[in-house]
Amino acid sequence: MRVRLAARRELSPSCFLLELVTDTPFEAQPGQFGMLACRAGRDPFLRRPFSLAAVGARGEGTVCELLVKEVGRGSRALRELAVGGELQLLAPLGRGFDLATPEGGRLALVAGGIGLPPLLFAAERLAAAGQPFDLFLGAATAAELLLVERCQRAVGAVGGELVLATDDGSRGERGVITEALARRWASGAAYATALACGPTPMLAALTQLARSWGLELQLSLEEPMACGVGVCLGCVVDGADGRRVTTCKEGPVFRASELAARWWQ
Amino acid sequence: MSVDLSVAVGTLRLANPVLSASGTFGYGLDLVDLCPPEALGGVVTKGLSPLPRAGNPPPRIVETAAGMINAIGLQNVGVDAFCRESLPQLRQRRVVVVVNVFGETMDAYVQVLRRCEEEEGIAAYELNVSCPNVSAGGMEFGHEPQQLERLTARCREATEKPLWVKLSPNAPDLVATARAAVAGGADALSLINTVRAVAIDAERRRPVLPRAFGGLSGPAIKPIALRMVLEVHRALPEVPLVGIGGIETGRDAVEFLLAGASAVQVGTATFRDPAAPLRIVRELEAFCAAQGVGAVQELVGALAWP
Repeated sequence: MRVRLAARRELSPSCFLLELVTDTPFEAQPGQFGMLACRAGRDPFLRRPFSLAAVGARGEGTVCELLVKEVGRGSRALRELAVGGELQLLAPLGRGFDLATPEGGRLALVAGGIGLPPLLFAAERLAAAGQPFDLFLGAATAAELLLVERCQRAVGAVGGELVLATDDGSRGERGVITEALARRWASGAAYATALACGPTPMLAALTQLARSWGLELQLSLEEPMACGVGVCLGCVVDGADGRRVTTCKEGPVFRASELAARWWQ
Repeated sequence: MSVDLSVAVGTLRLANPVLSASGTFGYGLDLVDLCPPEALGGVVTKGLSPLPRAGNPPPRIVETAAGMINAIGLQNVGVDAFCRESLPQLRQRRVVVVVNVFGETMDAYVQVLRRCEEEEGIAAYELNVSCPNVSAGGMEFGHEPQQLERLTARCREATEKPLWVKLSPNAPDLVATARAAVAGGADALSLINTVRAVAIDAERRRPVLPRAFGGLSGPAIKPIALRMVLEVHRALPEVPLVGIGGIETGRDAVEFLLAGASAVQVGTATFRDPAAPLRIVRELEAFCAAQGVGAVQELVGALAWP
């Protein structure tokens, strides 16, 4: 579908939020993603996968938000795109989070750095539905903690807690976000399920913790992909059953139990 | 004006000359909403081996200028699962199915063919003798004319259906391999498979892909593919060819037809735009209408030679 850049908001020296609008009505689940052609033509050659940070109705059409970190040709093209410019987006794709919780159960949402978008989408969806959750948000420095006020609003709507952590202690608790979660767990916080997205070491640590606690864990993964629709087989990860599973179609959200242990080692 | 899009690849008639290339369209049913397979001239399946294959460990792909390098390693569900799970639906949808066949040994190719021969609804076979991403089988047959002739002859004995051989651009002598496939009994040749290539990470001073080498595809290889189609067509003008390599538009398809291809396959373009094969059919039709071409078949080999 054709989307138009309605606004770009700078969030940090390297990160920005894109607001894309389209006449096409569509809905999405938190954890689903889109493949965005970052510029017309052949440079960059392939579309880029972006986790959807928000999707909602606007007028007859849809507005959707993507969080972008400038790392290469695709993201640079998005930095340079003028407001009003048009792009092609294929969305929604893949399997999102399962947000269902047992009666009275509480969700833990865990985001590391640029892994925030699917959890922001989940947080705002849960807030709207009145489902209780806490949100753990970690980054290297205070400057890289993004959209904190918006996270706070979503968490506040259901009386949850927003836990912040930075590696350098410049904001929130000092250390990695999984340690902050472990401290809550040790002091009696009980969660039905954890949903997470972030750097692989964070997801690996979380998988170990969740296993030792018997906590159900859903992970949103990111892998390089060409097509986003299950045919190039470029984005596979090792599944628990010995098969190689596509991140784009069978994921990007997997239950930790669906992934091979060696994927984390 | 109305344009007759139908073409013949040997004895096989296709409603239009655009097929999906192996390894870019799953087993024919993965993109039904975005690109209905029955609207194409045909679909070529992911390469099927006798047993399921896990393929290579990731990372498997890297973007390059106007293309990409892949090293998937022929991950596939195995011929049995394909016949059980995909073929009945493809039959129901009346899709023209070309099964791409891969084996690590000659016996394995024959095994896949025999299993397929038990089924209805397969229009033709394409032998993959040109995959650059596996250590056994595949390319080793495609590079050695004598081996290729033997393999093709063995497969020829296993089926009476049209047998296509997909040629490697990496073979030392392309025309010699083309002749060998025909001598072994191939009905048509599809060309080209990916071009052996490497991407290097300058900072890490390492190849990007774990096995270093992979196969380059996309518009970057189109002029090479066109040259190869033209060369084989000039050497073997009676042999039907299926052109492959960087086709992204109807105009690209026309260029391959002019060079001597009777049909074309669209591959990497589908990754950038899942509806690309269907769009290319429409663009081809519009091109013909604008040029006053009443039947696409007229374009085949119609290149004016300087």
